[in-house]
Amino acid sequence: MTTATQKQPPASDRHRNSTIRAVLSPWREVPFLGWLLGALAAVMLEHSVGSSLALTLGLRRIPVLFGFELMLKAPQHIPGMLVYLVLVYMLPAALVAVATRGLTNALAARLLQSPALSLAVHLVLLYGCMHFWCALSDYRYLVAQLALIAVMLTLSLNVINGYMGEFSCSHPGFMALGAYAASVLTVLLFVEDDVFGPPLLPPTLGPFLFPLALVAGGLVASLGALAVAIPSFRARGDYLGVITLAFTFVVKSLFENLEIVGGPRGFMNQPNWAGLPTVFVWAVVCVAVINNFVRSTFGKALNAVRDGETAAEAMTINTRRTKTVAFLSAAFWAGVAGGLFAHVVGYINPATFGAQKLAEVLAMVYFGGLNSVIGSIAGGLGLTLFSEMLRPLEVWKWVIIPMLLVLVMTRRPTGLIAFREFDALKLLGPRGRWEGGVQDGTAGG
Amino acid sequence: MRMYRVLVPLLVLSLAVALGLSGCAPTEEALPIIKIGLNVELTGDIPKVGESCKRAAEMWLEDIEAAGGLEVGGKKYEVELVIEDNESKPESAAAAATKLITQDEVLAIVGPNASKVAIPAGEVCNNLECPMISPWSTNPRTTKDRPWVFRACFLDDFQGPVVARFVTEEFGFTKAAVLYDVASDYPKGLAEFFKQAWEEIHGPGSVVAFESFVTKDRDFSAQLTKIIASGAEFLFLPQYYDEVPLILKQAQELGFDKPVVGSDSWGSAELVKLAGPLCHGCFFSTHYAAAGAKGATKEFIDRYKEKYGEVPDDVAALTWDSVRIVEAAIKAVGEITGDLATDRKAVRDAMAAIKDFQGITGRMTFTEEGDPIKAAVIVRINEAGEFEFYKFVSPE
Amino acid sequence: MTYLLQHVVNALQWGSFYALIALGYSMVYSVLMLFNFAHGDIFMVGAYIGLFVSTGLLLLGTAGAVTLPNWLVLVLTIILGMALTAVVGMLVERVGYRPLRKAPRASAALTGLMIGITFQTLNLALLGAKRRSFPALIETATYQVAGVSITNTKIMIVVISLLLMLALDQFVRRTKWGMAMRAMAVDIFVVPLMGVPINTMAALTFALGSALAAVAGIFFGQAYPVLEPYMGALLGWKAFVAAILGGRGSVLGAALAGFMLGFIEIFVAVVFPSTLRDLIAYSAILLILTFRPYGLFGEPYSARLRL
Repeated sequence: MTTATQKQPPASDRHRNSTIRAVLSPWREVPFLGWLLGALAAVMLEHSVGSSLALTLGLRRIPVLFGFELMLKAPQHIPGMLVYLVLVYMLPAALVAVATRGLTNALAARLLQSPALSLAVHLVLLYGCMHFWCALSDYRYLVAQLALIAVMLTLSLNVINGYMGEFSCSHPGFMALGAYAASVLTVLLFVEDDVFGPPLLPPTLGPFLFPLALVAGGLVASLGALAVAIPSFRARGDYLGVITLAFTFVVKSLFENLEIVGGPRGFMNQPNWAGLPTVFVWAVVCVAVINNFVRSTFGKALNAVRDGETAAEAMTINTRRTKTVAFLSAAFWAGVAGGLFAHVVGYINPATFGAQKLAEVLAMVYFGGLNSVIGSIAGGLGLTLFSEMLRPLEVWKWVIIPMLLVLVMTRRPTGLIAFREFDALKLLGPRGRWEGGVQDGTAGG
Repeated sequence: MRMYRVLVPLLVLSLAVALGLSGCAPTEEALPIIKIGLNVELTGDIPKVGESCKRAAEMWLEDIEAAGGLEVGGKKYEVELVIEDNESKPESAAAAATKLITQDEVLAIVGPNASKVAIPAGEVCNNLECPMISPWSTNPRTTKDRPWVFRACFLDDFQGPVVARFVTEEFGFTKAAVLYDVASDYPKGLAEFFKQAWEEIHGPGSVVAFESFVTKDRDFSAQLTKIIASGAEFLFLPQYYDEVPLILKQAQELGFDKPVVGSDSWGSAELVKLAGPLCHGCFFSTHYAAAGAKGATKEFIDRYKEKYGEVPDDVAALTWDSVRIVEAAIKAVGEITGDLATDRKAVRDAMAAIKDFQGITGRMTFTEEGDPIKAAVIVRINEAGEFEFYKFVSPE
Repeated sequence: MTYLLQHVVNALQWGSFYALIALGYSMVYSVLMLFNFAHGDIFMVGAYIGLFVSTGLLLLGTAGAVTLPNWLVLVLTIILGMALTAVVGMLVERVGYRPLRKAPRASAALTGLMIGITFQTLNLALLGAKRRSFPALIETATYQVAGVSITNTKIMIVVISLLLMLALDQFVRRTKWGMAMRAMAVDIFVVPLMGVPINTMAALTFALGSALAAVAGIFFGQAYPVLEPYMGALLGWKAFVAAILGGRGSVLGAALAGFMLGFIEIFVAVVFPSTLRDLIAYSAILLILTFRPYGLFGEPYSARLRL
């Protein structure tokens, strides 16, 4: 079918094609809301019958990350696993999504009249899916937390490396600044610690003031970012790359020498406040803010600076301000992500924020796609999940993943989903034959 | 609604396949399998640690398999090792521990080894209530306030003073130099505890050179030149065996001819292979002496050597003890109920209650914190490159 | 005085490694304008190839076939090591860089980084985590000159890196191939129109850079005889620092910056407490580049940056 469809298909094929199209057409008409509903249904189904179905299929328990790890470890379970995936995830999701498409399209159209409400409904549903999916296993929960943090990191680095077109290596440094600042604050204020002594504020206040600690971490990272933003006025490209790399080394060395936060022994006792809801909210805020940022005139100014600094200057773009804002905001979100990371893992040490972390974040950005919010989300989620799924390969995991990345990069040099604008409202709108009628209503939003 | 014509048969078909498969699915065994998790550093900056740990554990598993399973309360249980790579990264170690506990349903976890991964993994194990024993992590915080976490090695605050006292008694030196990796947990901790102990004995300022470098550095000439100029009478080198040979070589080239004393991280045959005659005559504190070892220790060393073609290092020996502590604890429980929470609690309690466990790295009893009380030995590397027992230093 | 002199000698030797690695790095960097993040790991591969070649040759001797003198083993190791590592370098170029020649440069940097990680882990997976000891091919002799200890390996390494630096500089400046390379550095899209076979030249550049990495790897093995899979990772990043600190399009500058990096690292450790070494050394580099944003020896290019 693959080659035949491209050239002139024979009559029988054309008939088959129309069948396929007929089968596919309802799918195209499913709005995002429908897919979310479908996913939610699938996850709920897994919640209620997943365990017993897995047992019936001869699997010992619910396959945790879509069965990948079990398939790699015990190939005899592959058929059972596939059946499980089809029965629990694909079929219910597809059936619900397709069956409710009339309803969801109408709802999506109605919701779009108030974009904020539409976003809220979608986000609640999205969170619902994640919540029920993660409720089945602590491991899923942790992986989801780490993946969302990776998305924040990737996205914020994409602002510099993708939108502004610099090669920045300073993200581990920003992350470290945020992680340490937020941890010191929470531990100092709310935790009984053998270095910082008894809590200064009642610990019950902690979870409410935790966002402030994260913001403080972000601000500290922003402050640190001045050390690379100011040189970036004159140095560009490769030279700026080295400056940012030196920055990462300096920050790492700084924390190695700061005995008060444990030096190389690391810093621990961070309270466990960064649960999945918290991380999810922060990730959503991060995506929303950065998406708005890059779609604003400021974002276009970033692109202009990337494509020709002198020309941008001639077009009355204040390049210095643009660069400063880009670095500072990217650093802010990296810092927040660092703070969340510290509270999820409950331990940080300077060595975490070194060259290895740098390679990881860079890989996520370039794998996902430059200059693209969706790409960064895909890159962060994809690589984190992938590296968890391939755990059974042990040492070979880190042979396979980089090789796959090279393969992707040589096919798509700017990443999987590069240079794409992410318009949330368009994504949330109705599809297919429901699409046309509502569009004028949303043009203003 | 044409698509239902496709979807419905698909549903029916997959249900049929599912039922068919469940028909031929293996029937549940009568006895549960005992799973032991291994959370080790197979990749990242210290892959050798993970490899040794994995090898020792696999050798243990072979023993169990040869015996037809682990006998608990008169019944033989099949044992399975679930190995996870923590990539020497804190977040990966936490994820690996979570996966082992919730997904693979292990009864107990051995590892991680390095403190930077053992601390976050210990947090997970303590929260999810699964016993964990780290063979090699020396940071006090790994086990502190964590009833579910144990370790098999001694702590820096024990070993530092041991070396200080030994050198004072043996050589009567008063001026010490220390060279350590500032970016690494273990060397730094040990270096500081040594400095503290030494200055307690000889007064402040008696550590005349306290020099450091950063992990993966390969040139130590600046620090060594400073050390030589400081007039130190010996050098304490709490380093791993990939730096020690280089430091010894460069020290010799720069004309340093004073004694060098090491710590338990020296305890690997690799050291002798890499450093050659340079390390002959050096002393280090450790858990056991390979040369002239007797009984179980010798047997372990010989078997390991035969199987993997190398003399086991400290990680391998400590892992061996760790898995055997777990084994002893499971046996002491006397009954596997199949309910994980109960079994894990029973294993933890049994582990905490272990008295005078006769390990190959010494006799062990756990403190309240889950740290072993055990003796240290001073080993001398003799002219044949063997680790020779020199002196016995018991804990105070 | 001798104390200081000793530090100078140490810094010269350590700097010569940075110089040697930066030289190979900057070969690729100044011609193709590519960040070659696989360079540190090609250096590692070179060291391992050198290890296997020299061990093999020495085994020939113990097996009784032909006993070669050590200097001959060293020479053969260098030649074979350079050749084999050059092949590896060409392979890296073919797989990771050629498909991306028209892509943003940073994308190519990423493939380089990923190829580097593949090399590290592949080594780990195939050869195990064991450290390997490079056989000593040069009998170490220590000379005391006015209280300063100098070993023959130190002298040899410094001399060889200086020689290679000069030779490479002459090659790039005097030969026709060198001219083609410099032309490519200026404009990679016009050069093919002048009849320069750009694929051949790119492969040659990588081969040359990798061969230099092999030399560095083998001498590194002589001076610091403990080899492990991750030995090149950090050095690669530092070579990146040196190559760019030297300045775009300046092979000689890169090597000099390599020496400078060695001097900075050693003297910071001498003057300040050595725990602060990285903090101060890299702050210094950050400052240098802030005030000299075109590196130390680079020309301020007005050409549009392809990033």
